[in-house]
Amino acid sequence: MKWWITGAVVLVAAAIVPTFLDPTGYAIRVLTLALLFAALGQAWNIVGGLANQISLGHAAFFGLGAYTSTILLINFGLSPWIGMLAGAAIAAVAAYLLSFPTMKLRGHYFALATLAFSEVLRVIAGSWTSVTGGPVGLSVPFSPDSFWLLQFKSTMPYYYIMLGALVVISGVFVWIRHSSLGYRLRALKENPEAAEVVGVNTTQVKISAAVISAALTATLGTLYAQFTYFFDPEAVFGIIPISVRAAIIAILGGAGTVVGPIIGAFLIVPMEEMANVLLSSRGAGLSQLAFGVMLIAIILIEPRGILALITNGVSRLRRRKSS
Amino acid sequence: MRQAILEVDGISKHFGGLAALDSVSFDVAPGEIVGLIGPNGAGKSTLFSTLVGLHKPTDGTVRLEGEDITGLKPHKVAARGLTKTFQNVALFMEATVLDNVLIGGLLRANVHDARELAKTCLARVGLADIAGKKAADLSFPERARVEVARALATKPKGLLLDEVMAALNRVEMEEIMDLIRSLSRDGLAVVVVEHHMHAIMTLCERIVVLNFGKKIAEGSPEEIARHPEVVRAYLGQEYE
Repeated sequence: MKWWITGAVVLVAAAIVPTFLDPTGYAIRVLTLALLFAALGQAWNIVGGLANQISLGHAAFFGLGAYTSTILLINFGLSPWIGMLAGAAIAAVAAYLLSFPTMKLRGHYFALATLAFSEVLRVIAGSWTSVTGGPVGLSVPFSPDSFWLLQFKSTMPYYYIMLGALVVISGVFVWIRHSSLGYRLRALKENPEAAEVVGVNTTQVKISAAVISAALTATLGTLYAQFTYFFDPEAVFGIIPISVRAAIIAILGGAGTVVGPIIGAFLIVPMEEMANVLLSSRGAGLSQLAFGVMLIAIILIEPRGILALITNGVSRLRRRKSS
Repeated sequence: MRQAILEVDGISKHFGGLAALDSVSFDVAPGEIVGLIGPNGAGKSTLFSTLVGLHKPTDGTVRLEGEDITGLKPHKVAARGLTKTFQNVALFMEATVLDNVLIGGLLRANVHDARELAKTCLARVGLADIAGKKAADLSFPERARVEVARALATKPKGLLLDEVMAALNRVEMEEIMDLIRSLSRDGLAVVVVEHHMHAIMTLCERIVVLNFGKKIAEGSPEEIARHPEVVRAYLGQEYE
């Protein structure tokens, strides 16, 4: 089957699924979150997958998106759709500025620097009480149903909004991969010196990817805020709930591939929900432990992620059949 | 003498207290093939890396078509028209042969045109039939040719070839030498680092000899073969 037929079938299925579900129920909520985090993993994938720059600070951009649109909505009644653009612009500037100190860093050093940056923002959000509400967080003024204010009583509209976000960000990812930027990122990822010598401006390429990824991540922060109606610094700037989760979703599914983050999110988010339900009575943190075990297992079995595991399995079966 | 396209003037490179290059000067004219020889560790690869901007020289200037390119970043040097191949082969291993060369082509073209240019360059080095192969699956001699094709895709005016004939058999070596000659006929200034003395002696009009980072001789192959210091430092008994 051609890839676009597969894609169209999956998309139609994804569009039909909610009609079978209770529009305010638990299942559709979990699926909506899975779509949101698949989109987040995809935005992360532009930097982490295509350039192999493992960021552990994407919460910085997610949080900037959530806070920017919500502060503008609370104080000026500005539509979150516009607030979303403002948040994306601020996140893009932040990513641009962050590019300079982290330019020469690779591997763990890059991961730690990005992590530190997001922590700084989390601390600011927790202490600048007059604007951000401090550690208590912010509530989105509730006035459903309004498309202009991006608020709905039912979960169903959010489901389609998150699906739309995932489609758009996946589209951006695929477009980048086949554009000159994608080829240059690939060259940079494999051999930065050789890339420079044959004319790739590696500095500019890194900045472009970081800025695009950050802006997209910020739009998801806005959507998250509108979906949950309430968030505190930890929820949107948190290392575990956002930064690490974005990275794990992409890596687990298959970093650098367009389906990777989608597989990762639809595995991790429901499993996490299940673990919360099953394990929370037996002690806090058990679900995180299950998480960690899963990640170690996938890295030991197939570091390129579940997608590679599946494609390897399929090609092995085919070979056995033909021989 | 023809107007030089690449002018290297007093280039020095110190790593800590060690002088890897000590005031090296030479010129290359368009269409000329210059050989760069010297014992291992003489500074040949360091010189190439310094010329394309991977290292900042401690002293001296590099000019391309009369313009100072000293200390420019490698991608800017490539844009001016000077690039090199890597001694240990630095291909993008996970990518196809075609995509490797395409990346060089992106310097002056969009993806579509760069792909066409890449095909032309691959045909020129005789690899058109393996364009779809993954670079990691190639033999060493094939990889070296992809390096040359990728460098050509940047449409250079000066090309520095670092041991592209290593591990080649006689026939393959003749093919590469024919390719280098055809590049020089197109007006490229070519500098070749090579250990095969036979190849250097037949291919180059002029040879520069490095030893411990210093230029100890420069001249025609005949002059170099007779040069007493070169014979002592490098050639040994073979060419006496």
